[in-house]
Amino acid sequence: MSPLLEVEELRRSFSGGRTLFGPRKPDVRAVDGVSFTLGRGETLGLVGETGSGKSTLGRLVLRLIEPSAGRVRFEGEDVTAASSSGLRAMRPRMQMVFQDPYGSLDPRMTAAEIIAEPMTAHGVRRAEAMRRAADMLGRVGLSPAMAARYPNEFSGGQRQRIGIARAIALDPALVVLDEPVSALDVSVQAQILNLLADIQARSGVSFLFIAHDLAVVRHVSDRVAVMYLGRVVEMAPRDALYGAPRHPYTVSLLSAVPRPDPAKERAKARIRPIGEIGSAAALPSGCRFHPRCPRARLVAARGVDAVQAAGTRLPRACVEQDPQLSPAGGGAHLAACHFPDEA
Amino acid sequence: MSATAEQIDADAEAAARRRATFRRYTRHPGFMIGAIGIALLVLVALLAPWIAPHSPTRTDLMNNLAPPSATFWLGTDQFGRCVASRLIHGAQVSLQVGFFVVLISLSLGTVIGAVAGYAGGWVERALVAVIDILLAFPSFLLALALVAARGNTLDSIILAVAIAYTPRIAAVMRSVVLTIRPRPFIEASRAIGLTPWKIVLRHVIPNALPPVIVVATVSAATAILAEAGLSFLGLGVQPPTPTWGNVIAEGQTSITSNPLISLSAGLCIAYTVVVLNLLGDGLRDTLDPQMRRNTGKLL
Amino acid sequence: MTAAFELRGLTAAVPGEKGAVRLVEDVSLSVRAGETLAVVGESGSGKTVTFTSALGLLPKPGRVIAGQALLEGEDLLALPPEQLRRRRGARIGMVFQDPLTGLNPVFTVGEQIAEVLRAHLPISRREARDRAAALLGRVQIPDAARRVDDYPHQFSGGMRQRVLIAMAIALGPRVLIADEPTTALDVTVQAQVLDLLGDLRASEGMGMVLITHDLGVVARQADRVAVMYAGRVVETGTVEEVFRAPRHPYTISLFRSIPEIDAPAGTMLAPIAGSPPDPARRPPGCAFAPRCFAVSDAHGCRSVRPDLIGAGHFAACHRQGAIEVAA
Ligand SMILES: Nc1ncnc2c1ncn2[C@@H]1O[C@H](COP(=O)(O)OP(=O)(O)OP(=O)(O)O)[C@@H](O)[C@H]1O
Ligand SMILES: Nc1ncnc2c1ncn2[C@@H]1O[C@H](COP(=O)(O)OP(=O)(O)OP(=O)(O)O)[C@@H](O)[C@H]1O
Ligand code: SF4
Ligand code: SF4
Ligand SMILES: [Mg+2]
Ligand SMILES: [Mg+2]
Repeated sequence: MSPLLEVEELRRSFSGGRTLFGPRKPDVRAVDGVSFTLGRGETLGLVGETGSGKSTLGRLVLRLIEPSAGRVRFEGEDVTAASSSGLRAMRPRMQMVFQDPYGSLDPRMTAAEIIAEPMTAHGVRRAEAMRRAADMLGRVGLSPAMAARYPNEFSGGQRQRIGIARAIALDPALVVLDEPVSALDVSVQAQILNLLADIQARSGVSFLFIAHDLAVVRHVSDRVAVMYLGRVVEMAPRDALYGAPRHPYTVSLLSAVPRPDPAKERAKARIRPIGEIGSAAALPSGCRFHPRCPRARLVAARGVDAVQAAGTRLPRACVEQDPQLSPAGGGAHLAACHFPDEA
Repeated sequence: MSATAEQIDADAEAAARRRATFRRYTRHPGFMIGAIGIALLVLVALLAPWIAPHSPTRTDLMNNLAPPSATFWLGTDQFGRCVASRLIHGAQVSLQVGFFVVLISLSLGTVIGAVAGYAGGWVERALVAVIDILLAFPSFLLALALVAARGNTLDSIILAVAIAYTPRIAAVMRSVVLTIRPRPFIEASRAIGLTPWKIVLRHVIPNALPPVIVVATVSAATAILAEAGLSFLGLGVQPPTPTWGNVIAEGQTSITSNPLISLSAGLCIAYTVVVLNLLGDGLRDTLDPQMRRNTGKLL
Repeated sequence: MTAAFELRGLTAAVPGEKGAVRLVEDVSLSVRAGETLAVVGESGSGKTVTFTSALGLLPKPGRVIAGQALLEGEDLLALPPEQLRRRRGARIGMVFQDPLTGLNPVFTVGEQIAEVLRAHLPISRREARDRAAALLGRVQIPDAARRVDDYPHQFSGGMRQRVLIAMAIALGPRVLIADEPTTALDVTVQAQVLDLLGDLRASEGMGMVLITHDLGVVARQADRVAVMYAGRVVETGTVEEVFRAPRHPYTISLFRSIPEIDAPAGTMLAPIAGSPPDPARRPPGCAFAPRCFAVSDAHGCRSVRPDLIGAGHFAACHRQGAIEVAA
């Protein structure tokens, strides 16, 4: 059986615009050649630095923005080539939950109207949709008596439940969740994560789960993909990725996570990327992580063929060749690094 | 809890909410003064034939420029017509102008502005160009042209003023829509598969409307002023039909001996403008309590 | 040893429909020089209000109705407004929640830091700009001398956060209050900012208050921790004490509700049911009672408000000690 979602070489750049009188600014290559698949009932976690293109990728998958190149197939149908009416017909099967629980609900509609809207948009009669919306409120743990309330009368966590109810109202096969719990408090966050797990167990929906909290991603995902400057640099089953990360960016990401345990936290050695966040408007040559890569510096010091770059000596391969996502370690573990087996 | 009990809860909540909304309006002094002031004016206009002591057009040259008396409350003008009756009937014209101008310019302007703001791209550029041209075009000339083409009827005046005001509403609407378009709930409605038209009608316009309604209320006042101005210049509704502008214009000939004629008409206009502005301010405060709450809270 | 900064019985309120609504009540906290105190708690528990009111920054009509805020022994709340303004920035700095709106987009980063300096010191524009550049270097902005003339949008989120820190420490305050300084940042940038704060505290001997709801950040950075719930401090102690043996059921629940990065996979999280009470409608007795797993009428949970009790490690709960059994 073909996977639910197949993404091939997806790209999107935003034009940099022009400064008044100045030269044209370079384009921002927000998503720069990303491929992956997602199976039915599976959760793929997507993590990465701020600005690495996670949200852009999520929107491209649902074609809420147009790709510059590449292809998305969903349930065997080509999303990227669909006409606007064909795309609307696919929408009930692929949905999205947004990061901002305050902004993503229309303040002038009641909870029930918000949840009923996807149903009425796809041909369900209004009375029927409103009745089902009241049921949905119950399913996401809100009281159906709250149906007539407006979003500003709900807390952040409750609003996010409404957003989730709206997304699952049409029984989709895929939901893209863009940082669904980042804006929420830890205790409320747990309620939402449990709710999502519960929905998935019941309906077999697939999740593309975008987040920057690595503990949360580990908690919900079957597989995890790590993005850096518009590319997926590592993708692996959850335990493989957390247990034995292969890409140095993933290593530094994991070592930066603060844990709620003072003893371990104080004793921990941190591996930190060097310098500032990279810019998708000025991509480095070769491996896009090389200016900040601690591993490349270690490898060069050991005496492989090295060149002068980024103010230091780095392996020639890192500076000149763009590493592709390829098997590293075992099984389905993929990493985009020339030296994936270094400690 | 059974479904019916929940239904009762929901209904009770909805009722409480309606009461709270109602209170929000009734407790706003500016809004209430404005609303009552307008209601009185509407009443006067509707009941003009019964309230007015005399016919507004019956001349009596034997009794012209009479001072105020029990029969002629505000005296008579140079043709011996009852000034009070003319003002009372004039309210009809002014209110019609205010009402229709707002109706036309609000409905056209809202849709044009919303489409321009939401669509973006060449559609927006084209509409903005039209709006800008209309805004730059002297509305006085426009009125002249229309009156020349269609004659001095009330319709021409309303049309001229409405055309002058539509681009203003459209410009306000567009600027509000530009702040709504990037809001996440708009993207959310694209994600559930709504068509662009439905997004504009169901999400963009309702959220943009409060500030636009406020502008529209205030422009009803300026529309009434504009009509008076046009009539004063002889471009408005032709005498002897009573309008406030005509009364001022005709009172001018005897402004030194009988200033009361022009003055009382001017006061009528001022009253209407003030009352409409109060209503507009009140609407601004009450229409969108959420907006006010968000901006009123600093943390 | 006197504390660098101490709150005593701070109570702040806003007028409500039925009398004053107490946003924070009877908050007592202290932080010594060179020490980091973390303040944690759910959204709406009053963390921000506690410190904005202590600095006289609570927006009207809110006001402090009781308590003291002692900065090296001097009560800030008893000072006339002008003097209070001079203390702020100079001797006590605050980094506000929401870094992205904290900078004005139309002035350069350098101008904004210089403005803080010139408001308190009689120095020339040039000198202020040079000092601003030095401060940017202190907060580890690379190439600070050149970037001092950049506008905020040319800085990344993590860099902007460091600019705000630079402004807060510009005048060498004795105490720095950082409200959620890392919430909007991803983990690697967060680590940079936390390291910076840790270094400053160590090198300047500054007292630091770190407001956060990330328990990982607390474990990493703080010496002592105060847990707030519904406007009150419900537990306080050293980080080791509180993390090893939390005493208040709210703290215990908080620990259970977070996914741990090295917990066995597939564990279900234990969220705290319900939501915190609205400040205008807090229940009598213990405010946590409606959500507490150990609630007991026999102990007066719903009728008597528990006081903070203990030695060193305090908790406000009628059943501390007995809780492990109940849980
Ligand atoms: N509409 C747009 N116009 C121009 N640039 C954009 C636009 N949307 C995104 N970008 C740029 O594309 C890059 C990727 O942005 P994206 O929002 O996908 O990042 P992200 O990984 O989701 O980051 P975060 O974790 O901060 O949400 C960034 O450099 C961003 O500035
Ligand atoms: N100016 C104000 N007027 C009225 N109520 C306020 C005001 N500021 C805050 N509150 C209320 O006081 C309570 C405490 O708010 P505070 O901002 O201190 O919470 P917090 O603990 O900082 O939360 P967060 O983690 O979300 O920042 C909340 O219920 C809030 O709604
Ligand atoms: S390819 Fe080289 S620079 Fe890139 S991640 Fe691997 S070691 Fe680092
Ligand atoms: S006092 Fe009672 S209700 Fe409050 S936390 Fe302790 S056990 Fe729970
Ligand atoms: Mg994002
Ligand atoms: Mg806060």
